[in-house]
Amino acid sequence: MTPILEIKGVTKRYPGVIALDSVDIAVGEGSVHALMGENGAGKSTLGKVICGLVHPDGGTVLLNGQPMKFSDPGEAVRAGIGMVHQELLFCENLSVEENLSLGDVPRHGMFVDRLEMSRRAHAALERIGVNVDTGARLGALPVAVQQMVQIAGAVAKGARVLIFDEPTSSLSHSESERLFELIDQLKADGVTCIYISHRMNEIFRLCDTISVLRDGRHVVTRPASELDHDSLVKAMIGRELEDAGEHDATIGEVALSVAGLESPGKFRGVSFELRNGEILGLAGLVGAGRTEVLEAIFGLDPAVRGEIRVHGSSLGTGRVGKAIDRRVGMVPEDRKRHGLVLGMRIRENETLPILPRLAKLGFVQTRNERETARKYFDRLRIRAPGLESVTAGLSGGNQQKVVLAKWLAAECDVLMVDEPTRGVDVGAKSEIHEILRELTVAGKAVLMVSSELPELIKISDRILVFRGGEIVGEVSRAEASEERLIRLMTGV
Amino acid sequence: MLRQRMAALLNAPQIGLVGVIVTLGILLSVFAGNFEKQGRTVNVFLNPDSLLQIGSDASFFAIMAVGMTVVIISGGIDLSVGSIYALCGVLTAIFLRSQPALTGEDPSFAQLSVSGAVCVGLGLACGVLNGVLVSRLRVHPFIITLGTMWVFRGIAFVASKGLSINFPEGLTGVLKATLGLEKGLFPVPLLLMVLVTALGAIYLGRTLWGRQVYAVGGNEEASRYAGLPIARIQTWVYALNGLLAGVAAFAGSAFYGAASSADATGYELFVIASAVVGGASLIGGKGTALGAMLGALLIVMIRQAIRILHFDQNYESIVIGCAVVIAVVLDQASGRFRMGRMAK
Repeated sequence: MTPILEIKGVTKRYPGVIALDSVDIAVGEGSVHALMGENGAGKSTLGKVICGLVHPDGGTVLLNGQPMKFSDPGEAVRAGIGMVHQELLFCENLSVEENLSLGDVPRHGMFVDRLEMSRRAHAALERIGVNVDTGARLGALPVAVQQMVQIAGAVAKGARVLIFDEPTSSLSHSESERLFELIDQLKADGVTCIYISHRMNEIFRLCDTISVLRDGRHVVTRPASELDHDSLVKAMIGRELEDAGEHDATIGEVALSVAGLESPGKFRGVSFELRNGEILGLAGLVGAGRTEVLEAIFGLDPAVRGEIRVHGSSLGTGRVGKAIDRRVGMVPEDRKRHGLVLGMRIRENETLPILPRLAKLGFVQTRNERETARKYFDRLRIRAPGLESVTAGLSGGNQQKVVLAKWLAAECDVLMVDEPTRGVDVGAKSEIHEILRELTVAGKAVLMVSSELPELIKISDRILVFRGGEIVGEVSRAEASEERLIRLMTGV
Repeated sequence: MLRQRMAALLNAPQIGLVGVIVTLGILLSVFAGNFEKQGRTVNVFLNPDSLLQIGSDASFFAIMAVGMTVVIISGGIDLSVGSIYALCGVLTAIFLRSQPALTGEDPSFAQLSVSGAVCVGLGLACGVLNGVLVSRLRVHPFIITLGTMWVFRGIAFVASKGLSINFPEGLTGVLKATLGLEKGLFPVPLLLMVLVTALGAIYLGRTLWGRQVYAVGGNEEASRYAGLPIARIQTWVYALNGLLAGVAAFAGSAFYGAASSADATGYELFVIASAVVGGASLIGGKGTALGAMLGALLIVMIRQAIRILHFDQNYESIVIGCAVVIAVVLDQASGRFRMGRMAK
């Protein structure tokens, strides 16, 4: 296969870190090429270098043998390179067709040519076989559809190389499947795809060639058929991944019990018990009501009705502070929006919920605070210059560890975790699993929502399956299989 | 140890602002020239009289700037402080007029404490109203306080019938006490400003509530998920701001000896400018009490510079407008520079 894109000796330094260290990779024309690596390995940076968002300090990128030097992403687009971003970079307040014409609005003199705009949008969407109302406001559409629109835009602008940066991180199972079909189709049309992801299953499902980056260096590039799960993990983290194995926590008293929980439009008739030493997994499609149940238990849903008991006594509803006092904690799904105050330091984030416990007469006891923060910083092996580092600068995995540290510091008896390893690299992922297990060994109870079935099956003692806001089944650890869960989740 | 201290001092966020103030001070001392006073040569800028003048001019809105900084850190804004000032001054003056026992010419403890409590309490009440409206109605604080800005000043106008009302001379005596300094030097407002700034710094930097204000301004949603009582915290920051506007109104009205509904017109913008020049970010989550005070001092110094250097005073607004924008741009640039250095 002739390379369409050659990356030669590309180096990029940021203050204090080398994001890319003379990376050499060749991408074959018409292939689907995976870029893998842990968070902070440099894969997203490399993607941004290719599409002109980031200027390398050294090295060149050759497209069809021609060295490219883009001063802005617009030039890259004209040269035939498009990018589908992790966070969608579109104007949510504008319609689909307006977004598809951004940067190149058709005009009649000084007026916008609405008809032409609509015609172009239809053509672009038809080309990739997606049916969307082009007049709809983009922000009102599901994320998956927004992504399709983004892809349509890139293809319509003549992209020969498309870079996908963690495209499935906010998609459901079936939406991801549809994206994969689209990528297959693009490949058949001769478009080269560069696919950045942590998710092994996707990589092996889609990609012909895999390149692994570690600490900014290129480690290996091989055909996907020559690699398997274990060798890939080893290349990514530079060591064998130790499997945490079976956990030997003893199941004890009921820690949390929920009876007849109902919130209009979200879920109804939810009842279950969670015992000390147990990890209870909640499976379901996106929108099945799992996150909403966690939020309701935690006091974030004022409209909820039903009975929530912690260690046998009623918790009440609608007050987060009360839940925290009763030693209930929640690691939310979206750590940047709900989990962290990004502008604050690690120490300040860790102690935020328990500050009243660390203060005397309103004055924060600094030494006490620092010791508490230090303890969990060390225990979770957060990789950062120190406790006083601002959390905005940490990698996803380390940010997630800070959120966990926050709730460990709050000494929760019941810890609810929502997608605890989303967007987290393999190394940090197994560490997070290990921490959850340690908690159960210490007699704590864990309630876990996850959309990754292997994760659910691997670490839950029991799994409750949600569909359409109701619990439709319970599966024990021994009976759990992906197939069985998917059947229950989708109701087929 | 000493080197560490020095390094910490040089890395303090206010160091740039202090540098600008000192530089401006040196330039003024050099270019202002001297004059003769009782046979001695005195620098027009660098003399106790002129310096204290800057201090007291700055003090009234520096006190409000500390409160405004707390509001801005929480992610809000309060346009009504100038009106709260006027309303507190006017209503306190009317109250005092109705209490013959409290209108004495000689300072008395009862006079000071009762009138002080009334004025500060009124400010607190106005602030609580702002806070409740902002936190319950979920309307942007810009709009809420734009409304209360007109309402408070309107009430002051109606209550005073647009007239200036005298404050008892006893209170003026307290605010203009020389505390053993030369005749004609009035250090009390300056001391009050320093006290408020110190208390503000302790509140923001050391207490649980201060930390919670930074958290809510930094990320309101994450703060909700951490169990913080958002509505209470928001109400409290506006209440505090109103309270400090009451303190400023008391000090200001007593110092000048009168209150009217036109007092402190347009002060809200000076106060916001002081907070922002002092490093508060309108996005929330960032700012300090010391910065607010320094910001207020800088703005007053610039105003004073125009007078001392005999520039045309008609240009005052233009100069201050430019200075505010330049100060904030420089502050952000130095912030980026520091971040870059810290990362290395």
